[in-house]
Amino acid sequence: MANLAPSHRPRPRKKGRPATSPGSNNNLILDIGDGKQTPAFPLVSFLWAARAGVSQWLILPLILMAVGLFRWAVSLWGYSGFQVPPMHGDFEAQRHWMEITTHLPMAQWYTYDLQYWGLDYPPLTAYHSWLLGKIGSAFDPEWFALDASRGFEDPNLKVYMRATVVVSEYFVFIPAVVTFLRRYTRMQGVHAWSASIALAAVLLQPGNILVDHGHFQYNTVMLGLVVASLDAILAGRMLWACIFFVGALGFKQMALYYAPVMFAYLLGVCTFPRINIPRLFGIALITLASFALLLAPLLVGAANASTREVYASSPAPPLLQTLPIQVDKSSVLYALIFQLTQIVHRVFPFARGLFEDKVANAWCAIHTFYKLTRFDATLLQRASLGATLASIIVPCAIIFRHPRASLLLPALSAVAWGFFLFSFQVHEKSVLLPLLPMTLLLAGDGGLSKELRAWVGWANILGSWTMYPLLKRDELRIPYFVLTLLWAYLLGLPPTSFETYRSRLPRETGAAQFEPSTLTTLLHFSFYLVMIAWHVLEAFVAPPPGKPDLWVVLNALVGAGGFGIAYLWCMWKLLTQCRKIDLQAIGEDSQKKKQ
Amino acid sequence: MVELYPSLAQCAIVAAAFKVLLFPAYKSTDFEVHRNWLAITHSLPIQEWYYEKSSEWTLDYPPFFAAFEWIMSQAAAYVDPAMLVVKNLGYDSWQTVYFQRTTVILTELVLVFALSRFVKSVPLPNKNAAHVASLSILLSPGLFIIDHIHFQYNGFMYGLLILSIVLARKQSTLLYSGILFAVLLCMKHIYLYLALAYFVYLLRTYCLDAKSVFRPRFGNIIKLGFCVVGVFAIAFGPFAQWGQLLQLKDRLFPFSRGLCHAYWAPNIWAMYSFTDRALIPLAPRLGLPVNHEALTSVTRGLVGDTSFAILPEVTKEHTFILTFLFQLVPLIKVWRNPGCWDTFVGAITLCGYSSFLFGWHVHEKAILLIIIPFSLIALKDRRYFSAFRPLAVAGHVSLFPLLFTAAEFPLKTVYTVLWLVLFLFVFDQVAPVSERPRIFVFDRLSLLYLTVSIPLIVYCSLGHQLIFGWDRLEFLPLMFMSSYSALGVVGSWVGFMVVYFTA
Repeated sequence: MANLAPSHRPRPRKKGRPATSPGSNNNLILDIGDGKQTPAFPLVSFLWAARAGVSQWLILPLILMAVGLFRWAVSLWGYSGFQVPPMHGDFEAQRHWMEITTHLPMAQWYTYDLQYWGLDYPPLTAYHSWLLGKIGSAFDPEWFALDASRGFEDPNLKVYMRATVVVSEYFVFIPAVVTFLRRYTRMQGVHAWSASIALAAVLLQPGNILVDHGHFQYNTVMLGLVVASLDAILAGRMLWACIFFVGALGFKQMALYYAPVMFAYLLGVCTFPRINIPRLFGIALITLASFALLLAPLLVGAANASTREVYASSPAPPLLQTLPIQVDKSSVLYALIFQLTQIVHRVFPFARGLFEDKVANAWCAIHTFYKLTRFDATLLQRASLGATLASIIVPCAIIFRHPRASLLLPALSAVAWGFFLFSFQVHEKSVLLPLLPMTLLLAGDGGLSKELRAWVGWANILGSWTMYPLLKRDELRIPYFVLTLLWAYLLGLPPTSFETYRSRLPRETGAAQFEPSTLTTLLHFSFYLVMIAWHVLEAFVAPPPGKPDLWVVLNALVGAGGFGIAYLWCMWKLLTQCRKIDLQAIGEDSQKKKQ
Repeated sequence: MVELYPSLAQCAIVAAAFKVLLFPAYKSTDFEVHRNWLAITHSLPIQEWYYEKSSEWTLDYPPFFAAFEWIMSQAAAYVDPAMLVVKNLGYDSWQTVYFQRTTVILTELVLVFALSRFVKSVPLPNKNAAHVASLSILLSPGLFIIDHIHFQYNGFMYGLLILSIVLARKQSTLLYSGILFAVLLCMKHIYLYLALAYFVYLLRTYCLDAKSVFRPRFGNIIKLGFCVVGVFAIAFGPFAQWGQLLQLKDRLFPFSRGLCHAYWAPNIWAMYSFTDRALIPLAPRLGLPVNHEALTSVTRGLVGDTSFAILPEVTKEHTFILTFLFQLVPLIKVWRNPGCWDTFVGAITLCGYSSFLFGWHVHEKAILLIIIPFSLIALKDRRYFSAFRPLAVAGHVSLFPLLFTAAEFPLKTVYTVLWLVLFLFVFDQVAPVSERPRIFVFDRLSLLYLTVSIPLIVYCSLGHQLIFGWDRLEFLPLMFMSSYSALGVVGSWVGFMVVYFTA
């Protein structure tokens, strides 16, 4: 920032800052006159002692332990479906998958008693469940006894399941985020101190903790594989990027939200600046190979004789019925196709409606005022597909034309927002997908500036707020308030502090572009006010008779509006960054010509 | 005024957020004890407070603590009146849990206030060190484990103690320091262990002339005497009036308990018992007489009367004499250095040490009695710090058996390791170099001691189960931990004695 200032202004000397540090530390240290300095927001003061440069060997374990404590503390609270027979919730679903994968042959994984939490996640989740089920059965076989363990709720089982989420996260998500941030901050010329602060902010993101360690899911494994894929892209290892991304897709189909950008990027890398056929070929081959590897155990499991008999006598999956080919029912090929189509049928439930429950996306918002049920389901599906494509085409085109690693994060968030707002079958928990790349922006150049912090923080707080009705059902109200407010406090955001929106610098220093504009301030403040007012309403005012869901609908409506704005902001961010890169390229070109 | 980051308030906010998240964590019987006291003080007349025994957890804290419970019970009545019913034994509705846990967090503000006064009272060059020390107390794993999971009000009480210690720094506030300590004694009588240090310090510094012991300052003596007697009169007067003092004595000092508490506190007697047990198989070879009653004793000397198989029996009188003697030693220095605050705090620490190491039926929670006053002077120089280091490790590790549930295991270990790594590193950076040469052996031994802790914790938490399974030789990790901790506490005591007398 200071180096953007006109050259006649003497640059204020900062004590204790290494000479190599770029200007981005200025976002973290405020001069309050008399040579005194204060941290810009509380998270900075917690790492204040490290600003002169303390070994990462110390900082990193401390951050990881601290964020781990918060995760484990949240896990002491309730989980989805606790004491809610007969179906319970996501906790029971995951436990049930551990039960069936450890006890049944692979051929039955996707067919066994589908009415009771039949497996509907891709194969990697199934393998993951199998591993965790095997380890858990070593502790106590009763936890995962076939059929007998349905709805089992033992405190020790809870501890074990919670531990598996934490361990999975520390094996996948956390190493991925740490290495990604290290590479990304170096690429962007961000000081190691800022990087540590950004790391702490990313790892304390309230949404992730509340859903995974509170509600109970393994989202961070999928998100971690996506981040690992991004890390591989930054490192220039495109083939590893493919493998990790296939892993993410194979863990949770939700990773499709990111797929268009990854596809466009990888295609772009093979096309610009010149067409690179071997690379394209390599990427295609490795992607296919990883998919094959992913499915191989399940297909091998389906090929043996006894399975073939079972499949031949059971009704074919709907997808297989629509296939125009006829295969001999007792052949190996039939068994393989059966298994494959059954997996696809389970993983992509096209038969379900446009949206479930109240979710803060466009369809639910429109439905509130104009009932969409009057239309045919296929029409709605097409409309949803069209709208989604329209919303993602621009960022994908940009990424294709400019396959730059620095554009990936805004592009990923914009596309994921597009999917969240317009696609089919969206869950409120899916908001974690657009939030992750957006939050990772904190580690970029100027990522901890007031403007970016304001936007990223606002989106995250809005995101957790839209999940409140869900969290409330799981008895997670207190963790929700504590974690969201704590995150807001640490990053100096409303409702705990208004510092981020207060201008401390004279406008002409050139730093103004890093501060939120008046429009941003107004917009964010109105959202924060609405969120607070909504909490007051929800807590103290009963909804009018006949409209028991009024508050939830209101929440979804406000959320949809906010996410629409977040989508536009990510698009704008992408466009400005792209323009900046273009201008730089032009400048470099003209310099070259002069020489 | 130098601003130091992170500030006490910032740490208190983040720590409070974390502590709120621990609401559903394991709570010991102490939770029910305090709920019962809320009920007793709220629903019974004062005359019956110390006679009520519907619950086995009778009121056994001095009257001011009962009054403190009564004040809280006024708010509790609005939260959930059912928790105030004496007959509702074991009542723990979520309102009760939230309410009681919240009172622990809120009353801990006294500690935050006391620590901020402490930092203010320190001269500028040492402010940074004082700030670090006060953060270490605020975030102490001891308070975290005992107060916010196990359930007690130590944060509040140690806040009062620190405030009183800080007030003792200036001649002008010495009187208030004495009054505050008297109030504290009327809240929790465990602080009697430190009373001797206060007595000697106040006598020498406040009641006698600094230059000559033979010139008493009568004005000060009358003021202090009047105030302290007044405090005790307010606390115990009404009960004396009703003739209940003997009953109070029986409640406050239940001497029927054994030498060692159920979980061995890492003190001399734990080492003594351990030696005794270890000698049993060797006794026939060494030709030592064996007390066979002790061998068959069901409680194995844990509860009730301790009996040793080979080593001589230890009586209450022995422990009293030892405790008293080892308390007197450091007080000589307080007597000789009137007005020296550092010596005073050192003496408090050493009084804590001797009562913890030699006392009768010492609870492992009493380790805070050493750690917290010691923290205030641990950063005086590197020699102090090297005596503090093994105590910090041993003292906190010895609290682990308090929490034995699986869900709390990661909390206690990760929190303690985080605290140890962070603060031992920062202390090491902040502690100034000593003017006197360090004692090489102590330094190296303490380093060795620290290194041993890592494999030991790993073994006790995971390795043992992997090698021997879940239910074989399960006393082994506990015994290792206890002996290891005892070694650390005794070692740091010896080290600190040397530092104290050579400083």
